[in-house]
Parts: sequence; C-alpha cells; structure tokens
Amino acid sequence: MNKKLIDRMQILSISLIWMLFIGIAVWILNLIKESLRLHDSPDASLGISLVAIPVFFTLASVLTYVFIGLRKGRKKDMES
Amino acid sequence: MEKAPAAPHPEYDLLRPIEDPGKSFYYIVAVLLVIILYTGYVYIRQLYYGLGVTGMAQPVTWGFYIINFVFFIGISHAGTLISAILRLSKAEWRRPITRMAEVITAIVLAIGGLHPIIDLGRPDRMSHLFFNGRLQSPLLWDITSITAYFTASTIYLYIPMIPDIAILRDRGVRPRWLYEFLSWGWQGTEQQHKVLDRAMNILMVVVIPIAISVHTIISYIFAMTVQPGWHSTIFGPYFVVGAIFSGIAAILVLMIVFRKVFHLERYLKLIHFNYLSVLLLIMSLLWFYFTFSEYLTGFYGHEPNEMRVFWYKFSGDFAPYFWTMVACNFLLPLILLSNRRTRTIPGILVASISVIIGMWLERLIIVVPSLANPRLPYPTGIYIPSHTEWVLFLGGVSVFILGYMLFARFFPVISIWEIQEGRQESAKAVTERITSYMPDPQPPLAKG
Repeated sequence: MNKKLIDRMQILSISLIWMLFIGIAVWILNLIKESLRLHDSPDASLGISLVAIPVFFTLASVLTYVFIGLRKGRKKDMES
Repeated sequence: MEKAPAAPHPEYDLLRPIEDPGKSFYYIVAVLLVIILYTGYVYIRQLYYGLGVTGMAQPVTWGFYIINFVFFIGISHAGTLISAILRLSKAEWRRPITRMAEVITAIVLAIGGLHPIIDLGRPDRMSHLFFNGRLQSPLLWDITSITAYFTASTIYLYIPMIPDIAILRDRGVRPRWLYEFLSWGWQGTEQQHKVLDRAMNILMVVVIPIAISVHTIISYIFAMTVQPGWHSTIFGPYFVVGAIFSGIAAILVLMIVFRKVFHLERYLKLIHFNYLSVLLLIMSLLWFYFTFSEYLTGFYGHEPNEMRVFWYKFSGDFAPYFWTMVACNFLLPLILLSNRRTRTIPGILVASISVIIGMWLERLIIVVPSLANPRLPYPTGIYIPSHTEWVLFLGGVSVFILGYMLFARFFPVISIWEIQEGRQESAKAVTERITSYMPDPQPPLAKG
C-alpha cells in the first residue's frame, strides 16, 4: 500500500477520534439542555459533565500529541 | 500461512506466535467461531421471543446478564489499573506482564459493556439514552465511565505498542499495511521516545482514577437503591477491591497458559508469579475484611428485610453458593498462597481459578438474593438461569478467548522494546534511584 494512502488513513483516524469525542460532548451537553428544560436537577448534570467532558478531550489530545509528535520526530531523510 | 522472515530476532520467542502460529491456532479459532455463531443464533432467538426465554421473572428481574456484566467489568481492572500502578511505582518486574494485563482490559470491557444491552428485551430502546437520558441516573454515569475507561485503556494499550509494531513492520510481517498504518513512522529517534514517554506519563495518571470510578459507579447502580443487601456505603470500595482481586487472578491464569503454550519461561519467571500471587493473597485478605464488614453491619442493624436477605445467603437457598464463594475467595487462596511449598505454579493456578469462580459467585450472591427478597410484599423469588443465559455466558467467554488469541496472533503479548530497554537501562536506573533515596552516610566525627 502506498505511503500517501497510509498518511491519509492516519489523518482520517485522528479526525474520526475527534469526531467521536466531540459527539460524546455534544450528547452530554444535550442532556444538560434537557435537564434545564425540564427543571430536572440540572446542577447534577452539570457536575457530571464537568468531569466527563475534560476526560474525553484529554484522551483525544494525548493521542493527537503522540501522532503528531511521532511524525515530527522522524529522521530528516524520511521527510524528503 | 505467512512465512517467518529470515533474519533471526533476539526476542524470537515473542515473535513466534505472530510469525508461526501453528495449526492448532486455526483449529481453536474454528471451534470458538462455532460457539460464537451459536451464541448469535441464541441471542437472535431471545430478540424474537423476548426475555421470556430467560430465567428472569418478577421479582428477580436481573440475572446472569447483569452478573456477567459486573464480573467482566471487574476482570477488566486487571489490566490497565495494575499496569498503571506498576509503571507509576517504577516496579521493574512489571515489564513482561503489563501488556498481557492491558489486553485483558480492552477485550473484557467490550464484552462486559455489551451485557446491559443483551439484558434489554428491546435493545432498540438504547436510543432513549441518547435523546432522553437523565444524567442524574447512575446508569448514565456507568455508560460515561465505561466509555471513558474503554477508550483510555485502548489508548494506554496501543501507545506503548507502537515500537513493537514498528519491529513487525520492519520485519515485513503481513499484513504490512496494518503495521505501517499503526506504527506512525516510528524509528526510535530520541524525539519519538520523548513523545511516547510524555504521553505514557499523562495516561498513567489519568487512567487510575477512571478505572476506580468505573467499578465504584457500577456499585452505585446497586447501592443507590434501597434494596435490602444493596444499600451500603462500602459498596464502592468493596467492588473495586473485588475487581482488582479477580483481575489479578485472571492475569495469573493467562500468564501460566501463555508461558506453557509459547514456552515463555525466559520472560515469565517464577519471581513474577511469586510477586503477583502475594498481591493476590493480600487482595484475598482485603476482600474478606470488606465482606466481613459488609455483613456485620447488616446483621448488627437487624432490620427485618435486611435479615431476610442475610439468612437467605447464610443458611437459605443461596447458602451453598455463599460458602463456596468464601472457600474459593478466602480459604483456598489463603491455604495455597501463604505457604511457600504450595506457592508454586500449579498452586497459583488452582488459587487463581478458584478466585475467578469465587468472584463470579460473589456477583451472583449480590445480584439475585436481594431481588428475590424485596421490601415489597412479594413471596421469595426463584431464579433458575435458562439455556439461553448459559449459552450467552459461554459465548462471552469464547469471545474473550478468541479476542485474546487474535491479539496474540497479530501483536506481541510481551512488550519487546520494554524488555530490551529494561536489560540496557534498568540496572543503572534502579541503582541511581536507590542511591537517591538512601540516607547519606554519617560524616566522620571530628577528633578531639
């Protein structure tokens, strides 16, 4: 398989990971919106989201950092 | 079947399952696939006829599926949590065992997480959680924490695998595109090592609280109800202790099997089994302490509904399971592991299998008796699992074995680069560390 295609697949995989985690965050925000609308203990929902959303974004950030870091850390002759 | 590359590798024993899996691998995979296909058929039958094909009925509305859910998620604590603790504490003996443990987590979490969906007669109603879920419900906390733990564990498993995947890529092992894709251009440069170390350090810290939160939250599903036998403040730590306990037992069983099948005696030495079995013994004592506290407080309160459940477990219908659980989780491990003469590989294997059975029984004893004896004026319920539930349980175990075998077919189950790094740098690093925390020698006293 050629290198360009693998590069594209790698970029696509990072994008998909971010889409997944953004999707989770949107879902949690939607649940908060619902609890606000129904006056159904929104404070509890807010408290949980304050913990959950940063965890997912930390994980996505670590993965992105690794993927970008490994590509940047290759020997110079690989780049050319 | 792929041919093994010509160049010999210093750690060839670790590459053998990938480069030369042998015929038996395919036979076992075929048998497992047959079981899994049959499980699929049984599940579709359950979907068609509804939960009436299971042994669940009023008032026992949770049975094998929820027991297996708690059990599998508990086993998942084997990996990432133990591995993270060992890495964080710089325990050098961890090197050959961390990956084996991490793989358990990733596979078992996926299986365990599916069980609540299997438990639903109408799984399509899962969509209600996405559109109309209530974040105040422990069930939603559970979904969130299991998803976080699954993603964190998978990342935690994958990142330290990158250098080993690059070894496979460079050896031309097929499928080459997969190793090329997953290795992210790893060449082992100083910069790449720095990135990997930094990411691992962050993950180690993040993963421990997530792992603890998962089983604590599972316990909340029970403890936040007022059911007799469930409404307990120590359920969180009790579940976490039980999870780590069963997890260590699962790692030990897998280590013994892999050592035997792939002749890994050079890597998995007696000292590894000795250290882990001592840890298992400590967890057994802790488990007993929590169990004793849990039942003592219930008994001391003598609340009538609580006592119905208590006697149902101690001398009623569930007494055989309860006392088998005590024997499996406490007596047998204590006898086998506290004695040097029986703390051998066969002894450890027996103790570990005993703990796995005992911990499954513990989940059974937590889930069923409380539901069978509710506060409401129902007659005592009866729960007898049906063929459907037994097959789905067997299917879950088969998926685990198949998942582990497939992982071992494509990736090294022992981290090659960490072993090599350990050989080259560990002795020096450990000496430096010891020197750094040992008290400085007393300066010589001045004469006169």
